[in-house]
Amino acid sequence: MLLLAFRNLVRRPLRSALAVSGLASALAVFACLLAFGHGYRRALSAESDRMGLQMMLVPLGCPYDAAARVLKGKSLENSLPESALEASRRDPAVAIAAPILMAATPRPDQGRADMWVGLDETALALKPWWRVKAGKPWFPDDDSVILGCDAAEVEMRAPGDRLHSPETGQELRVAGVLERSGTSDDSLFFVPLRTAQRMFGQENRLTAVAIRLRDPALLREASERLQGVPGAQIVTPTEMMGTFLNLVGAVRTLLFSIVLVAMAVGVLGVFNTLLAAVVERTNELSVMRAFGASRSQIGCLITTEALLLTGAGSAVGILLAMVGGHGIEKVVKQFVPLAPTEPLLTLTAWTLAQCVGVGALAGVVAGLYPAWRASRLPPAEASKAE
Amino acid sequence: MPRPVIFGFGTLALLLAVVAWRISDSSSSEPPFDPKIQLPQAAPLCPWREPASDLKQFFPNATRYEPETRILSGQRLELVGRLGRVPTGDENALHIYRCYENLTPLGAVSTRRVKGTYGAIELVLAVGADGQVRGLRVQRLREPEPIADALLNPGWLRTFEGLRSDSSWKIGGDIADVVPEARASAEAIADGARSLMILLATSDESDARPPVAARHH
Repeated sequence: MLLLAFRNLVRRPLRSALAVSGLASALAVFACLLAFGHGYRRALSAESDRMGLQMMLVPLGCPYDAAARVLKGKSLENSLPESALEASRRDPAVAIAAPILMAATPRPDQGRADMWVGLDETALALKPWWRVKAGKPWFPDDDSVILGCDAAEVEMRAPGDRLHSPETGQELRVAGVLERSGTSDDSLFFVPLRTAQRMFGQENRLTAVAIRLRDPALLREASERLQGVPGAQIVTPTEMMGTFLNLVGAVRTLLFSIVLVAMAVGVLGVFNTLLAAVVERTNELSVMRAFGASRSQIGCLITTEALLLTGAGSAVGILLAMVGGHGIEKVVKQFVPLAPTEPLLTLTAWTLAQCVGVGALAGVVAGLYPAWRASRLPPAEASKAE
Repeated sequence: MPRPVIFGFGTLALLLAVVAWRISDSSSSEPPFDPKIQLPQAAPLCPWREPASDLKQFFPNATRYEPETRILSGQRLELVGRLGRVPTGDENALHIYRCYENLTPLGAVSTRRVKGTYGAIELVLAVGADGQVRGLRVQRLREPEPIADALLNPGWLRTFEGLRSDSSWKIGGDIADVVPEARASAEAIADGARSLMILLATSDESDARPPVAARHH
């Protein structure tokens, strides 16, 4: 049966190849979407773990926008009173509360802004990637600055050099230059918290407080308590992750509907191929019936042809996803909020099994009517055609 | 078994083998290659931030400009002699903007980032077709007020005009002196402009030279 079905398909190679390629492209995109969704969730979770913090105290406003801006090294328009830091440190569930003050000095003529970040030594515990390439790992005095590696390259600074901030009039000495981390830290200017507050006229004000808990299980009760800090609100990386996943989920739904249309076109291609084959082979199929082939055997033959076509389509589609998937990933990453740096496209056995399953289902659906029609052919058709 | 069947099954088996190999490859826990030696990273290229106003200032008749990159690694020995030091990695290539009035070349503009006392200083240097400095502009600096005032002084910047690659480029000599606190940055500017002039001259002279085969002939 399998042999006969295969021979029937290769009798019209171009038509079969077109049906296979239509289905293959739809399945390739389907496989990429499945793999991308899985990879994004995993990578986002890993990034969240690497941050080393479980919650963030930010000023009132859109919490997700605020948290995303802080994580991306952008400044906020409003700020927190320093009492929020004291309240966080007093909370029994909090192990580390690190204050952050961020400020930007825009340079519109250069199309960029200098990003300054004020930190105190507690920040080191929350920045496991903080490694100096040269100089000291922390500020020896209030007039020191530690530069991200890109900032140091652009300003041509090395440890011991002086750095001036024309907008604030502050003169600083470069204490260290950080190793490249692949994060937004690479382009930042880090100064002691008090210096940043003085430079930007934000005495006793903070942009955010990054918090690590003694036990992550205390997250709910700690966040309930800290929500009571005046002018502040709590955002957890889990909530942020959920928001980003919702955003990605919405995009994925849209893309899945496009894939659905592509799949429908692919299935119609297979359907058309099989129906044309049944019509063309009416005589042949009737002869088979006349020689004793049962209706179910004829139906089974056409269904096998459909499954062979969709099986080949699935195999080619998966191969396409493997070859072209990383190109698609590069494009998709540009549009994804907080895109993780690690590869997102991981084709697992489960993803591949889902693709093969969808391909097989498409084969069955596409072969249903042609198989039914072929099995209905009366043996007498053979003599009529003759 | 007929040949097409064998071929078909063979192709499918091959595809499945590739899929299996990719899955095992992607799930491998081997860490990525991490070289122990860190190559020195070149400083980022200095952009030309205001081409329209610079062109208007230095080449008022210019109708267009064309970016050009000249590779100078072949002239390294000559550059060592002319610069008086080993060229930096950045100096293996020269990025210039040739300026034209319709089809007539007027000169070139080049940019450079030099190390000032308080941060990077970005220069825009315009060179005429005669090989003399047409003008110099500081497009960005971080120096504090007294130093910035001295370096941005149009009178001081005008003293660069007319200098050639083989001029002395001395502050207090060819170039006017500045207040003592601005001297280090002024020297960095003079050195950066001189280096650019030498790179440009070397590049243009190597173009003018006949090819080796023709010279032998």
